[in-house]
Amino acid sequence: MVDESKLREKAAEVLAREDVRRLIGWKRGTYGFEAAPCVIKDASEAEALIFDPTCVQNPASFITLEEKKPVPRGQEADTRKIAVMVKGCDSRAIVQQLVEKAYDRDHVIVLGIPCLGVIDRRKAAALFGDVASQVSAKVDAEKVAVDVGGDVKTVDRKDILMDKCLRCRYPNPLVYDELLADEVEKWAGDEFADVGEFEGQSPEEKWAFWEEQFSKCIRCYSCRNVCPMCYCVECVVTKLQPQWTRRATDISENTVYHIQRAWHLAGRCIECMECQRVCPVDIPIMTLNRKLTRDVKEMFEYEPGVDVEAQPLLASYNPQDPEDFIM
Amino acid sequence: MSAEEFEPNIVAFLCNWCSYAGADLAGTSRTQYLPNVKIIRVMCSGRVNPLFLVNALQQGADGVLISGCHPGDCHYMEGNYYARRRYTLMHKLLEHVGVDPGRVNMSWVSASEGAKFKDVVEDTVTKAKEAGPMEQFRRRRINW
Amino acid sequence: MDNLNRRPRIGVYICHCGINIGSVVDVPGLVEYASRLPGVVVAREYTYMCSDPGQNLVKEDIKNEGLNRVIVASCSPRMHEPTFRKTLKEAGLNPYYLEMANIREQCSWVHPDKEQATHKARKLVEAAVVKAMLLEALEEKEVDVIPACLVIGAGIAGIQASLDIADAGFKVYLVEKTPSVGGRMAQLDKTFPTLDCSACILTPKMVDVANHPNIELMSYSQLESIEGYVGNFKATVRKKARFVNFNTCTGCGVCAENCRLAGRIPNEFDENIGMRGAIYLPFPQAVPAKYTIDPERCLQLTKGKCGKEGPACAAACGPGSIDFEQEDELVEIEIGTVIVATGYDVFDCTRKPEYGWEDIDNVMTGLEFERLVSASGPTGGHVILGRDKKGEGGYEPKKVAFIHCVGSRDKSVGNEYCSRVCCMYLAKQAHLVRDKLPDADIAVFYMDVRAFGKGFEEFYDRVRREGVRYIRGNPSEIYRTGEDHTVVIKVEDTLTGTPMEYEADLVVLGVGLEPRRDVREIIDLFKLSQSTDGFFMEAHPKLRPVDTASDGVYLAGCCQGPKDIPDTVAQAKGAASSALILMAYGKVKVEALVSVVSPDECRGCGFCMEVCPFGAIELVDQNRMGNIVQVAQVNEALCKGCGSCAAACLSGAIQPRSFKDEQILPQIAVLGVRI
Ligand SMILES: Cc1cc2nc3c(=O)[nH]c(=O)nc-3n(C[C@H](O)[C@H](O)[C@H](O)COP(=O)(O)OP(=O)(O)OC[C@H]3O[C@@H](n4cnc5c(N)ncnc54)[C@H](O)[C@@H]3O)c2cc1C
Repeated sequence: MVDESKLREKAAEVLAREDVRRLIGWKRGTYGFEAAPCVIKDASEAEALIFDPTCVQNPASFITLEEKKPVPRGQEADTRKIAVMVKGCDSRAIVQQLVEKAYDRDHVIVLGIPCLGVIDRRKAAALFGDVASQVSAKVDAEKVAVDVGGDVKTVDRKDILMDKCLRCRYPNPLVYDELLADEVEKWAGDEFADVGEFEGQSPEEKWAFWEEQFSKCIRCYSCRNVCPMCYCVECVVTKLQPQWTRRATDISENTVYHIQRAWHLAGRCIECMECQRVCPVDIPIMTLNRKLTRDVKEMFEYEPGVDVEAQPLLASYNPQDPEDFIM
Repeated sequence: MSAEEFEPNIVAFLCNWCSYAGADLAGTSRTQYLPNVKIIRVMCSGRVNPLFLVNALQQGADGVLISGCHPGDCHYMEGNYYARRRYTLMHKLLEHVGVDPGRVNMSWVSASEGAKFKDVVEDTVTKAKEAGPMEQFRRRRINW
Repeated sequence: MDNLNRRPRIGVYICHCGINIGSVVDVPGLVEYASRLPGVVVAREYTYMCSDPGQNLVKEDIKNEGLNRVIVASCSPRMHEPTFRKTLKEAGLNPYYLEMANIREQCSWVHPDKEQATHKARKLVEAAVVKAMLLEALEEKEVDVIPACLVIGAGIAGIQASLDIADAGFKVYLVEKTPSVGGRMAQLDKTFPTLDCSACILTPKMVDVANHPNIELMSYSQLESIEGYVGNFKATVRKKARFVNFNTCTGCGVCAENCRLAGRIPNEFDENIGMRGAIYLPFPQAVPAKYTIDPERCLQLTKGKCGKEGPACAAACGPGSIDFEQEDELVEIEIGTVIVATGYDVFDCTRKPEYGWEDIDNVMTGLEFERLVSASGPTGGHVILGRDKKGEGGYEPKKVAFIHCVGSRDKSVGNEYCSRVCCMYLAKQAHLVRDKLPDADIAVFYMDVRAFGKGFEEFYDRVRREGVRYIRGNPSEIYRTGEDHTVVIKVEDTLTGTPMEYEADLVVLGVGLEPRRDVREIIDLFKLSQSTDGFFMEAHPKLRPVDTASDGVYLAGCCQGPKDIPDTVAQAKGAASSALILMAYGKVKVEALVSVVSPDECRGCGFCMEVCPFGAIELVDQNRMGNIVQVAQVNEALCKGCGSCAAACLSGAIQPRSFKDEQILPQIAVLGVRI
């Protein structure tokens, strides 16, 4: 596990550098099971930084925002680097952003943190109920020790960690300038059993499920906004000319919105699960993403966010690609 | 509406160089086929944004068809290869949402395959008939 | 932008096409329907819209009714779109304000039911109307073509193409990588099926390219970079240093005789079975007849020192042409067209170790054999093997075997294709052996004999009649037994089903043709595509066999696929004529239906750039609210308007003109509704 004092030291050191503008990391949240992502400018603020299983947000989502901030008239653009702390899964977002030329590699300083898993707020709520105090936690290969306002309780990993952590294949960052702790051993694999199970249903059953889920959607676009891969200047979903989806939150527009969102992540989703985490109405968004992830892997032997040199999936092809459904 | 009287509506996207020409050939050779298919001409199957197809289903089409040149024959060399990847995936995605897989069809029809075009139309219509009217996320028309 | 901002005033013209449309589709009903569609100000019918009176109808309405969009519902746009575009143009309207509804091929000719055909025709017309509202005026541009052609590779293909273009009065830059022009054909002894001596028919052409006033021959040179588009390319050519003054060298050869390494370096031209020195002429008839120093072998150049007295070549050279300080020279040229004629390599036999080519010196490739029987080759044309370094001793083979399809039609080495020349060159070589060694036993092991060309079958017959045995079987192994030269070929005669072990003292492998090993260089420079066999891909396998996807870049010879000399020459002439068409006309139209980028929406991910088969898109810097960001930019001269970029773009920032999302979506909306 990462030594937090070392982490703060490192952050302060990086922020003191002349060529560094900001650092993105986590600090303790006001209450509850999730830390707050934070952007700090000054070495003196580094004291607030933390890393523990409450650091669930993907800081890579903020890089593109920070990078392209509008420059007030008469001022020069600040082209100094942005430092960012990432877990293994978060780092895949950076890899994919680099594949998509979102910024240059030397514009970011990646501080990698090997991670043993982070807390799922929903699972935690089931165990602890609503929590109004600050929470910290420790995780090892077997258990998670959760400290709720001084009260420490130890729970099973599977009962509290995010599902993505239970099947994590990349606990260690894939891209970094510096690792803030020793690499950890991989503990899981991913057979996509959930996808297979869902596929076993009939079209009617599937639609019945989605009809219910999509009907709940209030189109707050949180899932889009939090996604580290969604940083188009202008999103087709909210574009007016042409208008692909209307703004009404009926089943028709909602379904199309969700198909569009999932489609635009085909071969790009790095499975940080942020979309599903932030959904205020608990739509299992990853069920769509994971289907595509699995198919992309099986059909095209492709995995996004693992190789900076990779060609984008849908901007490449193989003459031998499968085509069994084509007449 | 009973299955017999249901006549599905199909929107087809055909590439200008092979499939649209194949459909033209079906015409010149007076090959009769079902009138359910309405064609939109694009320059290349690689042009067809997979979201067009979602849009067509939303507008009320009961099935869609994308057709391009056979692999290796694309007028622009590669467009159909990209299309194939995109559609294979979109097909899977829609299936996962519960859309009947028979609604999404893709074919390779060359400029000389007027007869094949007829078969493709027939197949597409049959599958859409089996799937029934597309109601799942059809956009309701509101008459103000 | 004549009337972009004006409200659409649409004219709809329904064609009866005699009775072709009118007998099935209810045309008057359709006119009535169309006239009520939004934006439509006139709707008319006519027997033949494509006839002059038909077109005049449109022209007059454009004038009198102030139409700014025209819809013709008739036959396929693939048929008459150009016709009606012209009509609009003649009436002073931008030709891209035309939209067609195909109610003949897609309605009357295929749907006998009047009701159904008419209903569908209505829909198609309506879809055309909604699209027409959003059509934009486009500009048809022409660019000048620089009257010069770059030919890459001076094999017979490049030579022939250069001569044709130069003879037509245009400038040619002929770039050849090796010190001499001639390519593979110069390595051959005789040529099938007529047995012309290869050098006799080739050398006059080689001399011609060197002397032609319109040809600038750049031998021992390589293309370094190329940019631009059809009609206007800029290329940089690296003229490699020969370390010999090109202008003063007389080609006398005294330098080579005196070279300390003379006869000690394998000569590539002789497929390494002959020797040369560090300063050399690849073969006696080389053009240009100028010596070259091999910078990788020359003692002076590699070690900085040659003997005690310094380089012997320099001492011997009368005109003092040797110049060890010479450097590569970069030459910039401007050309309008390019012909790629880089030829082939033969199959690398180390990939088929079971045939023992690497270890057994009397197992050789067909190309090595060409050098062996060539009068200008290392043995002076005598079929003698096993000579020592001084060129003495050796033996004449008594039993000679030829093996077909080595590295062709062989999935195990990744080459599924037929190399098209091996059957015949092996027959030719068998004939040459028969000629030179009348008593030799000659056997040819084949899978099939493909004697498809003019005079081929006759030649094959002749060779068989000369006592060459053809045995049907694909050897599984070739190995040496003992001390002598005997090589055993393990094979099954598939006609009789008998396994046999044929003993020979010379085995010639009918190696197939493969893409040049350094083919990537050219691919990367021109963004050419490769067919599955690895050869350059033509724009269309049947109708555009010499064009490539890049306008103004043509293919000639074996770089496009294996072929014999007559086919190579024919293709070279085809490529030359394609290049000449552009240069003779002097102008080239660039596609009007190109993609456009909305830079404010572009996120600079480059997906469009990756999918563009024409390399028409690049990322350029742009200032966006104070930040420098990268956005896509379309080179309109390269774009062909396929629109693949638009489907790859996530934000819809790049769109092909006339097929934009906002133009297609309304069509979907009309056609998608089920009624
Ligand atoms: C053993 C054998 C025997 C044959 N016998 C016969 C026969 O009897 N009759 C017959 O009709 N055909 C025969 N052929 C086929 C014949 O060799 C070809 O048809 C012919 O040589 C093709 O000519 P080309 O100009 O396309 O290619 P090449 O002759 O290969 O010429 C290509 C030229 O391009 C140059 N080059 C390559 N890359 C570059 C580059 N990047 N930049 C600049 N220059 C470059 C090369 O140096 C070369 O000079 C035979 C082939 C073989 C292998």
